[in-house]
Amino acid sequence: MIKKIDEYRYLVPKTSKAGMKIDGLIYANDRLIKQIEKDQTVDQVANVATLPGFVGKSLAMPDAHQGYGFCIGGVAAADIEDGVVSAGGVGFDINCGVRLLRSPFEKKDIISKLDELLNQLFKDIPCGTGRKGKLSAGKSELNKVLQQGVEWAVKNDYGNEEDIYKIEECGKIERADESLVSSRAKERGHDQLGTLGSGNHFLEIQVVAEIYDDIAARCFSLYKDQVVVLIHSGSRGLGHQVCTDYLDVMQSGMKKYKIDVSDRQLASVPIKSIEGQNYLKAMAASANFVFANRQMITHWTRDVFKKIIGSGDLKIVYDICHNIAKFEEHEVDGSLKSLLVHRKGATRAFPKKHPVLPDEYKSVGQPVLIPGSMGTCSYVLVGTENAMKETFGSSCHGAGRSKSRTQAKKETDADELLREMKSRGILVRGETKSGLSEENPNAYKDVSEVVEVVHGAGIAKKVAKLVPLAVMKG
Amino acid sequence: MKNGYKFLDHPADIGIEAIGETVADAFIHSAYGLISVIVDDSTIEPHIPMHIQIDAEDKEHLLVKWLSEILYLYDGKKYLPSKIKINSIDDISLDAEIKGEYFSDSKHKTKTDVKAVTYHQILIQEEKGKCLIRVYLDI
Repeated sequence: MIKKIDEYRYLVPKTSKAGMKIDGLIYANDRLIKQIEKDQTVDQVANVATLPGFVGKSLAMPDAHQGYGFCIGGVAAADIEDGVVSAGGVGFDINCGVRLLRSPFEKKDIISKLDELLNQLFKDIPCGTGRKGKLSAGKSELNKVLQQGVEWAVKNDYGNEEDIYKIEECGKIERADESLVSSRAKERGHDQLGTLGSGNHFLEIQVVAEIYDDIAARCFSLYKDQVVVLIHSGSRGLGHQVCTDYLDVMQSGMKKYKIDVSDRQLASVPIKSIEGQNYLKAMAASANFVFANRQMITHWTRDVFKKIIGSGDLKIVYDICHNIAKFEEHEVDGSLKSLLVHRKGATRAFPKKHPVLPDEYKSVGQPVLIPGSMGTCSYVLVGTENAMKETFGSSCHGAGRSKSRTQAKKETDADELLREMKSRGILVRGETKSGLSEENPNAYKDVSEVVEVVHGAGIAKKVAKLVPLAVMKG
Repeated sequence: MKNGYKFLDHPADIGIEAIGETVADAFIHSAYGLISVIVDDSTIEPHIPMHIQIDAEDKEHLLVKWLSEILYLYDGKKYLPSKIKINSIDDISLDAEIKGEYFSDSKHKTKTDVKAVTYHQILIQEEKGKCLIRVYLDI
């Protein structure tokens, strides 16, 4: 089914499956493609290529693995004139994403207080399964969060104006309409505001271990030995319910618009239809909820640093979405088109001079934040022109699972894992041992290998490597 | 297979395989499977009754809506079902009585946050005197 094009690219020709309207393209090296072929990723790339109005190629990043409908690590774009929007193309965890904070400290400044820092973070930032937030938003307040995102958070003293400009969409997707978010979704989300969640979500205190691109690193104010904080969080029950609700709307919509898909999880409706527009407005509201969430976690992280280290001067490097559909303009077959880009477990990776970037970053490009699996390493990359040409300005989003949670749990002794990380100087606090076992780095692909493919293919370029000092797991 | 269900592996998530002598039994067992993913189900007591009525377009849709309802009861209403009785079921509707209780931090131990119920490789297979269900959860 797949054909190797070069060292980093594998083609899924449109002849490989009935109904494919465009080719598929998978970014991988020889080793990663073998892992990718083990599950249904390739088939899912092909299924996406059958959707109406999709243009360019159905893409999978090197961290790709089997998902629902779209693979995780999938990127595909629909022409807004005749294309469809798929709730499954964004996924249940709308705007799951990462935020990187930089500190004025070096490792030596905090190392003696690391244990205290981690314990205080664990105390002050709600995390774990179903754990409630510190505040339960009333209905009208939650509606404001959904409409305003980070703007609401800043108005309520969870940050400052300067923060807003370092967040994708400035932390607020304007299209949001809270009235299109069901009361069920609001019920699931109202007491989860400002919570980290569980699963693969985390907060890590890290240190910059290596700089690959001096100019970009300087532009992002990153330097060797600097302490940074990486926050990975998602939309909690609110976003999950929005996706569930609109998958249902789209199931019925498919009959109305005579759309046939090979997998019900790919349920889609025309972008211009009322159902499609409503979904995109509800999705935007969910995304705003998440931006506000990460802003509150940022605020409490600053408070903890102030309390323990004496200064909470943590500045946002950037905040990016992993699961989102965005209206963007891209060149397809030589002409500029207005597209809806679905990124499901993928990040935007825009190049220098792009108008949506913060002014400070226009000379180098957008920071692309790639969290690694627990206790390994993470990367900062920068977006490229080549990503605009090949991937609708997109790149990978992390390591990507290679083993199931059940298998990881079976193979992992949580105590041994903790001891092993401690021996490497990494402190870990987790809600449960089983949660830690599921996130054993052995259950993931090697994030460095994933990043090498992205760098080698030129769809983002390496800027810095970050290694963990302390990990807080949900 | 304990309690009429077992778990299935998925690269990122988890599946439930449920069996029953009837469709109703298999639906009930799949719900018990879901609840046991979320919490330690041995701690839930059947104190408070709840009534569920679901309409759907086909039986797969009915199964996804049924389990999504159970998930919503927990994540939205903080209610955990313990005993489930299905009064009536066909391909497009279901009526059930549930007994359970509201979630309490001191009494119930959560295990995993479930994001949603998916259509991925969904299966409802009915044969003489047996119904097999397979459904995957996003976690």
